[in-house]
Amino acid sequence: MASEVTKYPVDSLTKKGVAAHLTVTILLLIVLMSFGAIMLLNQANLVKVTPTIFYSVMTVHGAGMVGAASLGGCAVLWYFLCQYVPLNPKILMINLWMSVIGVVLILLGVFGFGFTDAWTFLYPLPAFSSKFYGTTGPMLFFFGLLFIGVGYLIVYLEMGIKISRKYGGLFNGLGWAQIFGKGGDYGPPGAVVAATMNVIANSVGILAGAFVIVASILNIINPNIQIDPLMAKEFTYAFGHIFANCTIYMAVAGVYEILAMYTKRPWKSNKVFLIAWNFSTLFTLMIFTHHLLMDFAVPHWLLIMGQIFSYANGLPVMVVTAYGALMIIYRSGIKWDMPSGLMFLSMFGWVAGAIPAVIDATIVVNHVMHNTKWVPGHFHTYMGLGVIIMIIGFMYYYVKVECGRRENEFDKVSAAIYSVFFLGLTGSFLYAGKIGTPRRWAEHLPNWILSDRVGATCAIIIIMCTIFFATRFIFRLNSQQRNISSGNDLNEKPLMVK
Amino acid sequence: MLQQVAWTVTVSLVFLLFLFFALVFLSSRKQEDYAPIIKKWYKARSWYFWTIVTTMAIVCFFTLSKLPYHMPHDQEASAANYKSVDVLAAQFSWTLSDEDFTEGDNVKFNVTSKDVNHGFGVYDENMNLLGQVQAMPGYTNEIYLTFKTPGKYKILCLEYCSLGHHAMIKEIVVKPKGGATNGK
Repeated sequence: MASEVTKYPVDSLTKKGVAAHLTVTILLLIVLMSFGAIMLLNQANLVKVTPTIFYSVMTVHGAGMVGAASLGGCAVLWYFLCQYVPLNPKILMINLWMSVIGVVLILLGVFGFGFTDAWTFLYPLPAFSSKFYGTTGPMLFFFGLLFIGVGYLIVYLEMGIKISRKYGGLFNGLGWAQIFGKGGDYGPPGAVVAATMNVIANSVGILAGAFVIVASILNIINPNIQIDPLMAKEFTYAFGHIFANCTIYMAVAGVYEILAMYTKRPWKSNKVFLIAWNFSTLFTLMIFTHHLLMDFAVPHWLLIMGQIFSYANGLPVMVVTAYGALMIIYRSGIKWDMPSGLMFLSMFGWVAGAIPAVIDATIVVNHVMHNTKWVPGHFHTYMGLGVIIMIIGFMYYYVKVECGRRENEFDKVSAAIYSVFFLGLTGSFLYAGKIGTPRRWAEHLPNWILSDRVGATCAIIIIMCTIFFATRFIFRLNSQQRNISSGNDLNEKPLMVK
Repeated sequence: MLQQVAWTVTVSLVFLLFLFFALVFLSSRKQEDYAPIIKKWYKARSWYFWTIVTTMAIVCFFTLSKLPYHMPHDQEASAANYKSVDVLAAQFSWTLSDEDFTEGDNVKFNVTSKDVNHGFGVYDENMNLLGQVQAMPGYTNEIYLTFKTPGKYKILCLEYCSLGHHAMIKEIVVKPKGGATNGK
């Protein structure tokens, strides 16, 4: 593989699609964060909502946050991937509309027709609930998820086909030619490798989700059509785990591109990098079993593998991606601004989130911490300080490169406040998990309330920062677009160098 | 105990991670050639990789030797030493076949559900989570617990099961050895 890589300009329809994805993402984040705050305030006894409202809000918060992170991650990945592999921008717009329709159906199902069975909709709960609350709610919710899933399958089909055409097969997108010594020292750019991983892993995850959703729909229509609850749970978590994980594997394309651009140091996909991504693909597909560690009916060897491979899954990020970010920054003379600073910070968030996740994947620890607030503690860390930070960092990069707008000190202060209080929020969750607070409880016992109050306070401040980011992004997006090609020549980007 | 270990290890490692990121951030003001940095950092990465892998292997070796799926090895490995109690979960209550517990009892709970998925979590009087297992329709999961101290224990649902999830609490009383009526 030649080390010189041809880059293509980003066309106007792609820019519109990316900007629209980011706008919907940040607006959804504000609404969904507010839902999160409502839950915390209720658990903290500071406001009172009914259990129906609490669990409705919880269902939308869970489904919506994963969906919003995925939309934002998709925008980041698409923007950089299309500079190496020309993509049809209409597909991006189709995905956006499929997601918007999906979100509307989910909101209707939850708030209009009383679906409250959480975004993990564990079979046979939806069919059971539909006996009391009707079938319209779950149907709308499930079809909403299907719309969103199909949108991403179309995106991955487009990415997969174009990567295969350019690199001679999907596996070469993961650098197999270089790994097996047939294609030079360096594989495709990081964005291409990340895209290939997502195409493979998330397509499998979405298909697993589609299977269990269709089975649940059939079970609601005709209760005689049943599947094994344990198998359904395995498929549900295969979907949920892979889809949630892929949000960060999509958004990380921004880290590779932006940090390399700012430091003027290449982030080359050498063999170690490629092998790490291949293992990430494999592990992401395998390790959903750590969600079933407390299902003793699962063959024990599979659960033991769940622990071992969950540990191993931390290696690619800890040893390659985060380490690579530290290495590329070290004594680089980088200009720190919102994009570069947030991309760097996101790597901290990713690894910091992986630590409690790996600990919870230890079976003996899981025995006393599974389904406590320790679990949202770890995934809020990698979502809020990893994925969302990457997406917000990319928003600032986007308006800087495409709209020529500079940031100010308020942006930096807001980012600092957001990060500190997000650490406070996740710290409150992890502490709550330590003292045994169950997750997904509308009402909390008195000794759990202190951590809820800390969490609620942090959440409110985080929301204010996010509103600020959204306002800055949307208003600056409307400004005159600069006529510069995207990401081709660092010398054309005086905004990024000192 | 394990919760405290998990918390301490997490806080310590996140703090170490923060320190490392902060040091690299501070170093970024200087500018040096990348090639020597790559050479040096790649060498260090091998050590870093093998340190993590070795640590993980050691942790796995010790933690996987005592799993909650089996009868605890420190008890006399005989089912006769365990009192068998059937647990049936249903929205939003727990039904136990036997609720007569005494301090020191080794209990094997056979947990299932008659409707949807639930989570059987046993808390002691200080609300420490002692152990849990999923309650799934069509399956019976066995969990082994020992009531080491007398007192009021609680069973909480740890898998979301619909609107009454948070109300799915059952209290059980473990009597002290010798027959006093209440634990405290």
